[in-house]
Amino acid sequence: MTTATMPPETGRTEAVGKKPRTPLVRKLRRVLSAVPLVLLMIWTFLPFLVTLSVSFKTRVETFSNLSLIPEDPTLNAYNEVITDPNFTSAFINSVIVGIGTTIVTIVISLPAAYAFARFNFRGRHLLLLFTLLPRLVPSIGVLVPIYRLAVSAGLLDKRITLIFVYAGTLAPLAVWLMVGFFQGIPREIEEAAAVDGASLFQRIRYIVMPLAAPALITIGVLAFREAWNEFTLVLVLTTTPDTRTLPFALFKLGQSEGISNFPAEAAFAILTVLPFILVYSRVERYVVAGLTSGGGK
Amino acid sequence: MTAVAASSKKPKKKKKSANTATENRSQPGLIGQNKALPYLFSFPAVMVVSAILAYPVLAGIYQSLFRAPELGLDEEWVGLDNYTDLFKGSDFWASLYRTGIFVAGNVTVGLTLGLFFSFALYRAVGKFRWMRAATLAPYLISNVAAAVMFRLMFNGDLGVINSFLAWFGIDGPLWLSDTKTAMIVVIMTQVWTDLPLTVLLLLGGLMTIDKSYFDAALVDGASPLERARFVTIPLLVPQLVIATVWLSYSTLTGLGVVLALTGGGPLGSTTTMAMEMYNIAFRALKFNEALALATVILVLNAVLTLMYVRIAKRFEIPS
Repeated sequence: MTTATMPPETGRTEAVGKKPRTPLVRKLRRVLSAVPLVLLMIWTFLPFLVTLSVSFKTRVETFSNLSLIPEDPTLNAYNEVITDPNFTSAFINSVIVGIGTTIVTIVISLPAAYAFARFNFRGRHLLLLFTLLPRLVPSIGVLVPIYRLAVSAGLLDKRITLIFVYAGTLAPLAVWLMVGFFQGIPREIEEAAAVDGASLFQRIRYIVMPLAAPALITIGVLAFREAWNEFTLVLVLTTTPDTRTLPFALFKLGQSEGISNFPAEAAFAILTVLPFILVYSRVERYVVAGLTSGGGK
Repeated sequence: MTAVAASSKKPKKKKKSANTATENRSQPGLIGQNKALPYLFSFPAVMVVSAILAYPVLAGIYQSLFRAPELGLDEEWVGLDNYTDLFKGSDFWASLYRTGIFVAGNVTVGLTLGLFFSFALYRAVGKFRWMRAATLAPYLISNVAAAVMFRLMFNGDLGVINSFLAWFGIDGPLWLSDTKTAMIVVIMTQVWTDLPLTVLLLLGGLMTIDKSYFDAALVDGASPLERARFVTIPLLVPQLVIATVWLSYSTLTGLGVVLALTGGGPLGSTTTMAMEMYNIAFRALKFNEALALATVILVLNAVLTLMYVRIAKRFEIPS
């Protein structure tokens, strides 16, 4: 593709009639055209690098050595974080809430999306609209009402509340992505399977789900991301360390009194970020494709 | 793209299967004929979405018309008093002003960088393709982690930003403790977390543009800047609108970054409307008053969205 964009460039110079380029100029142009990409990588990864660097320093060194490369790298900060009960309990909560949210989101959205994509039932458009409209509702609008609802229903400080709240936030997007995907699967395949005697559930399990795997993976990643990263609702809906997830625990660490323990904060941040980045890197091509075609949001 | 193509294909297929039902199809409408099933299938999603999103918003708007005379007492109907009191207070207008700066900053910086980086990524092909996935990294981390990172970068004593400025002999400020500069850091952090989706959106738009437009512009001898200004950007208007709406939405209603980074400080200099709402609700425990402010934010968001779409209409290429 790089080569595909290059010929028109030279074609232009010929058309305009400028003098032909020397190899040196061409090389210089090549280097210059890489500058935006280098800037993009700096913009994206500098915060990660800075945090990684601080996490390997001692508390004293954060002030004495401003360079990105630690003089005497140490794992003390990581040790400190891992042995902190606040971290371990938050980590476990995050894993439970993350997996729970992913499962609940898919379990409620998949049948709904199938119904909207395959059945022509009364109120189909109305219901579809209904599941999509809330996508426009910002979380700030539901923060207080959900809190009050949870208080009155006795659902405050429970992991299951977080799971359903996140699943509810994600479901509209999930339904929307899946309806588009299911409609792309030819009916004829399913009809053929039906003729062969496959039941509805068999068709969904063995035809629709495998063919929609990219959409399911994208939704799974997005649901897990929401649960793993969401912060304000956790802050409002939990009151004890038993249910708090990682972002809240990290926030608490930053709020603690006295001189900030920068290495510990940095190590904590890295340890919250790392697991999800690792998961993501395994499935990134589905997610990028899903998000690019899905029109964002 | 795929969704549009699929949905446009769909009605045709529906009609066809209805027509051919009496004709030569062996088992007409084999799929999707059960009457009760679709309701059963969509019921759980509709229920959860109503309970988590639809009901709370409506209940919130309704409850904003009540007020508890004192904490713990029963709420009484007060009509629009919560709103009029809100508009009378100076805190509201100050937070509206700060939100304006926050939104304008995020949209301007976000769109500029978004265009620049998406143009760059458009050319990143072959062995540079991984950069597209890597660009998404900030989208994957929590606002709190982003706040920790930016607090380290913008730290007055040990931050990399001030070290960089020191190279040029500039004595950088104590970014987050200075009422004049704290908002800059908040905007940068918000842009950083919002940019991946913006870039991806614009990149998706760029990739759908027919290459013959570029070729035509090249033949006409347009410079790269002219090509961007007169060919690419006009063709990118739909994606630019969505990106603007999304950037504005996420700033206007976003609480995470502000709360995690500054908590609204120093001296309230980064207290946006969302932050103000949080303070009224969970620090002052005046829930009904907070709901009135939340409703104002929702309305403002809707108004801004309509405005962007209106403005965009002017720039669209008449077909």
